[in-house]
Amino acid sequence: MTQTAFKAGGAAVVAASPPAGRRVRRSAFQRKLFPYLLVAPAVCYLLMITLYPGVYAIYQSFFFVRFNEWIPAGFDNYVELFQHDEFWGALWNTFVIGGIALTLECVIALALAYYAYRDPLIRGWRIVFLLPMLFMPSAVAFIWKLAFADGRVISDLLMRVGLITENIDFLGVVWNARLTLIVADVWQWTPFLFIIFVAALQAQDKEIEEAARLDGASWSAIFWNISLPLMKPVIAVAVILRGIDITTMFANVFIMTQGTPGGTTETISFFIYRMGFRTFNFGYASAASAVMLILTLIIAQLLLKRFFRSGRA
Amino acid sequence: MAEIELRNVRKQWGAVVGVNDVNLTITDEEFLVLLGPSGCGKTTTMRMIAGLEDPSAGDVVIDGEVVNEVDARDRDVAMVFQSYALYPNMTIYENIRFPLRMRDVPKARHAELVQRAAEMVELGDYLHRKPGALSGGQRQRAALARAIVRQPHVFLMDEPLSNLDAKLRTAMRVQLKHLQRQLKITTVYVTHDQVEAMTLADRIVIMDGGEIQQIGTPDEIYTDPANTFVAGFIGSPPMNLIGGRLEGGSFTAPGIRVDGLGENAGARNAILGVRPEDCHVVGAPAHFNAKIFAIEPMGDQTVVSLSTDGHLVEVRAARDYRAPLDSMAHISFDLDRLYLFDETSGERLR
Repeated sequence: MTQTAFKAGGAAVVAASPPAGRRVRRSAFQRKLFPYLLVAPAVCYLLMITLYPGVYAIYQSFFFVRFNEWIPAGFDNYVELFQHDEFWGALWNTFVIGGIALTLECVIALALAYYAYRDPLIRGWRIVFLLPMLFMPSAVAFIWKLAFADGRVISDLLMRVGLITENIDFLGVVWNARLTLIVADVWQWTPFLFIIFVAALQAQDKEIEEAARLDGASWSAIFWNISLPLMKPVIAVAVILRGIDITTMFANVFIMTQGTPGGTTETISFFIYRMGFRTFNFGYASAASAVMLILTLIIAQLLLKRFFRSGRA
Repeated sequence: MAEIELRNVRKQWGAVVGVNDVNLTITDEEFLVLLGPSGCGKTTTMRMIAGLEDPSAGDVVIDGEVVNEVDARDRDVAMVFQSYALYPNMTIYENIRFPLRMRDVPKARHAELVQRAAEMVELGDYLHRKPGALSGGQRQRAALARAIVRQPHVFLMDEPLSNLDAKLRTAMRVQLKHLQRQLKITTVYVTHDQVEAMTLADRIVIMDGGEIQQIGTPDEIYTDPANTFVAGFIGSPPMNLIGGRLEGGSFTAPGIRVDGLGENAGARNAILGVRPEDCHVVGAPAHFNAKIFAIEPMGDQTVVSLSTDGHLVEVRAARDYRAPLDSMAHISFDLDRLYLFDETSGERLR
């Protein structure tokens, strides 16, 4: 195997060098430059679609923008933003909805992983758990909108088993509306955490597990005393990835609640969208985006630092 | 406190047989060593005693009770793993205390018991550290302390010394033996190192290919091997095994003639076994005459390799013995320390 790979590599090098006789000597600088040239197209592409709009948005946040008319605003957008109740409300909603959803996802995924990781069949049917993740976010949102509001499936089911007597107004009551968003998110994203946690549990040292068994520990004692503490860094990474994702929750809000009732399900992404594309206040929306970016970075950094320090053996 | 019995124990995975029909009784307070090359089934045998592996057939009996259906955690067996298997998230104190917590030993006694176990293995100063901050030898002792802290019925050790360097291994070997004598706990010890087996064991069980080859005290194993496998596995350098012809009470092979051997065995092809230290270099032609292939001075002795008929025979000589290569050497054997084995089965001819 190695031999063949080596030969193939050698052949490629030979083919790339100019024919013998007029061999070109490259300077050290040129040789160092070569790898950078190879990745340059990809880097340019990435810069164009991520960095450029980002920088543009931050630049824009210092202007009052009315379509083609840009009026320098200094920090006025930011000042206004920090005095805007709807901004703080959206921040709070994102925190509450995202926080509850993320906590539920973690707890459910950990519980499932704990019961599933010792199962030898798990490798075979792991893919089933992934299915909700493979759906388009908007499709998931429509399904749950049908179930909760338009189709009243949930209310209907609950009435049939006799738990309630009349339709629940899922979109008209603050916590009901938040609950629909939470359920949709938990349904779609628990599998993501489940897969990560199962992988972490399956990767843990079997001898440590066996030693704990012989020391008299039950499976749950092993989980609480050994597996869970050792999983801390994995949990931290998973929570950060999911947490960043959840702060940008948009599709579900847009499709299911539109921020109703009374803006209590308006997440920060939806707030930014509303400022930008409903009131066409682009500078203001950009300012909100910049603030969110900074907030997310700070929180993620704090979490990473904390978990990785305590996770070290 | 504990007697272990294996009755016709067998372990197989599909068509692969790991342990084949092992019968073995381990008496109370005994230090028993399972010895064999890798893949011989010794670790699997131990894991079946621990309950980490279910036997495919046969019974594991501890103190007269068949424990096949008893979970590993309820067998009151402690094990030291080759990798030590310490819990990396806990301090050494918490590691040693873990079995006490899991077995509902009253909290008030924890500190005292942990301290005592740690002092037995001379680890008292490292209790607040985590395993990652300890050296290999210290981790090994921490694993030992964790095993002895709750005074188990049975002690199992799976190559506990093989990750240590040679010097530390020798030191820990002595400690282990002393500790076992002190605690009087039935111990099963798995190793592929014959020196460990010889020095530690009350009895050695030699395994190969999933089967027991011989059970006996270190002396018996060394002086009375049951077959060529045992003879060739024990001893350093190991026993010389020379193929030849046995007829009318004399054994002959190229360069070798020994009379007065195996008179009852009849005429047949046989293997002569002779240990390097039972050979003596003499001045005049003797039992065995061959050319010197190499001379290896070891300090306390000199190992002389003689070439005969394409293979080498190793002989132990005095430490100042020197001779030119390719010169003839004459060897006389201790006649009462020669062993004859059947050529095909490898079993001892008696």
